[in-house]
Amino acid sequence: MFDLAIIGAGPAGMAAALTAADHGLRVVVIDEQGRAGGQIFRRPPETFTGSEFRPTAGYEWATALIRRFEADTRVVGRFGWSAIGILHEDAEPDTLCVAVNHPTRGTGMITARRLLIATGAYDLPVAFPGWTLPGVMAAGGVQTLVKAQKVAPAGEVVLAGAHPLLLLVADLLVGNGVPVREVAFAQSIPAPAEMLRALNAVPGHLRMLAETGTVLTRLLRRGVRVSPRTVVTAAHGTEHVSRVTLTRVDRRWQAKGAPRDVAASHLVVGYGFVASTELARQAGCELTFDSPRGGWVVAHDERLRTSVPGVSVAGEPAGVAGADASRAEGALAALALAADLGRPVPAAAFTEAERAVARAARFSTVVQRVFEPDREALGRLATQETTICRCEMVSRGNVDDFLASAPFVTDVNAVKLSCRTGMGPCQGRYCENTVAGVLAAARDQPIGLGGRFSAHLPVKPVPVGDLGALDTPLPEPGATPRDIN
Amino acid sequence: MTQDNTWRRTVNERAAAVTITVDGRPLRARAGETVATAMLAHGAAFDRDRTGARRAPLCNMGTCFECAATVDGRPLTRTCLVPAREDMAVQTQGRL
Ligand SMILES: Cc1cc2nc3c(=O)[nH]c(=O)nc-3n(C[C@H](O)[C@H](O)[C@H](O)COP(=O)(O)OP(=O)(O)OC[C@H]3O[C@@H](n4cnc5c(N)ncnc54)[C@H](O)[C@@H]3O)c2cc1C
Ligand code: FES
Repeated sequence: MFDLAIIGAGPAGMAAALTAADHGLRVVVIDEQGRAGGQIFRRPPETFTGSEFRPTAGYEWATALIRRFEADTRVVGRFGWSAIGILHEDAEPDTLCVAVNHPTRGTGMITARRLLIATGAYDLPVAFPGWTLPGVMAAGGVQTLVKAQKVAPAGEVVLAGAHPLLLLVADLLVGNGVPVREVAFAQSIPAPAEMLRALNAVPGHLRMLAETGTVLTRLLRRGVRVSPRTVVTAAHGTEHVSRVTLTRVDRRWQAKGAPRDVAASHLVVGYGFVASTELARQAGCELTFDSPRGGWVVAHDERLRTSVPGVSVAGEPAGVAGADASRAEGALAALALAADLGRPVPAAAFTEAERAVARAARFSTVVQRVFEPDREALGRLATQETTICRCEMVSRGNVDDFLASAPFVTDVNAVKLSCRTGMGPCQGRYCENTVAGVLAAARDQPIGLGGRFSAHLPVKPVPVGDLGALDTPLPEPGATPRDIN
Repeated sequence: MTQDNTWRRTVNERAAAVTITVDGRPLRARAGETVATAMLAHGAAFDRDRTGARRAPLCNMGTCFECAATVDGRPLTRTCLVPAREDMAVQTQGRL
């Protein structure tokens, strides 16, 4: 049995693992990607030659963190394994079981006394007519394909969104020779500029945003059209995107003026991030709705402990705040867990870790405020025919009809049960936000009031036959702890 | 199965070539490349939904399941997470 199982090997998980190991804990880190780094530091496969890792600008600590993590033989790595659920061992109250699944090896169980959920975030899904067409892709998806898989879209690209990541992706595409036709930004462009001024008050934390300023200038100089106050309202094509519709909006992202069509073979969408909380939900952790911090986030105390005994959280599921915050929270969470397990942790270590978290938070709060997606406005983009649940093929019209017929329903889970939204393989990750928006509009209530989808094991579906092996313990590695899938 | 390529490989320094099959047709990939990447680079179609409309990867990070296929007999495999290996057999009608 391990002292600590960490799910996610991003900045939060890596920092936590090293800190925990430094305090004598036996640690296992589970990540479904092939290598450590998380979403921001996704690297090319080891087999690729001539494409070594360059950390994202502003995150110079990343290379050292990844190297230290990968060289540390105290930490057991389970890469290529997905955590699909968390089970409590009734007979042994101090034991938590993580069900894991591998695409070729099937299912197994990892037991640990404590658990840290560091599962990161994913691109905020936005349903508009045509968003299921091939050629429409999430900003992070395109970024990781270009950066880590070394492929790029062929043909002309339009980007639309509201998050600074969108500008980084546009820049990455231009740098790879991809013709970028237009970048549509829902806010007005002075917003990022204002933001940069605000950030000057926070020395040492320009990071991504400082980069964004440079990038914006570079894009404009290269003749890329950057349109302020513009959102994508439709993607068109039969088998693949061929054209997208962009519409001018006002301050509250309400359409104003005539829509216009732009020819494009790819549409990159980046309105922000959703905290990845399904494992925490399934484990029974309390969540709170915090729109600027990624929607539903895992409630925790000042040392990152959740409402479920033995389960802590770090990084984006605790609130989307960027890689600095994730790393700082990972370290603090690990110190607290080590102290809980009786390891001596000097008070100074806590003070330092708490300071790092507070520093990162000062920066991220500004970013969150300026770039908070207007969820109500995004919810209105789906028309009656628009598929809002991609897996179960539920349209906005289906949900509206149900809500009209059941005036007492004010909860997203009731919509899920009746309309099947969120019951497919993605388990609601790609429709929850839209369903919440549609429900909120219909009932004239704030989005968070409609609650959230519940999550069940397996949170990432696996072949049915695999579930039989749920209680088989995964052999713990002995002499060679590194288990790269 | 193939249409005009919508993605292209940007560097040549990859690994050894491997051959996988997608719906019975051979497709050249590079070791380490994910199956989804190889399919995108060849313009191979992913699954179709119930209405017959095409779908393709959305997230490239294992959350959306739009890239899922049956890989070597195992349904629901997210091809964006799985590296291509020699003789791997992919069937795209495997989302559910
Ligand atoms: C696609 C993408 C691209 C991004 N690019 C940038 C960028 O360029 N610049 C920037 O500043 N920020 C970027 N971000 C924001 C980024 O999420 C944070 O800055 C940072 O990576 C957060 O660190 P983390 O440790 O909290 O989570 P992450 O880095 O997201 O790490 C979480 C890890 O958990 C793993 N995981 C999740 N669920 C499971 C599960 N059930 N089982 C097993 N493993 C699991 C994931 O594979 C991942 O490796 C990006 C986010 C995304 C989603
Ligand atoms: S592309 Fe989303 S799960 Fe693979």
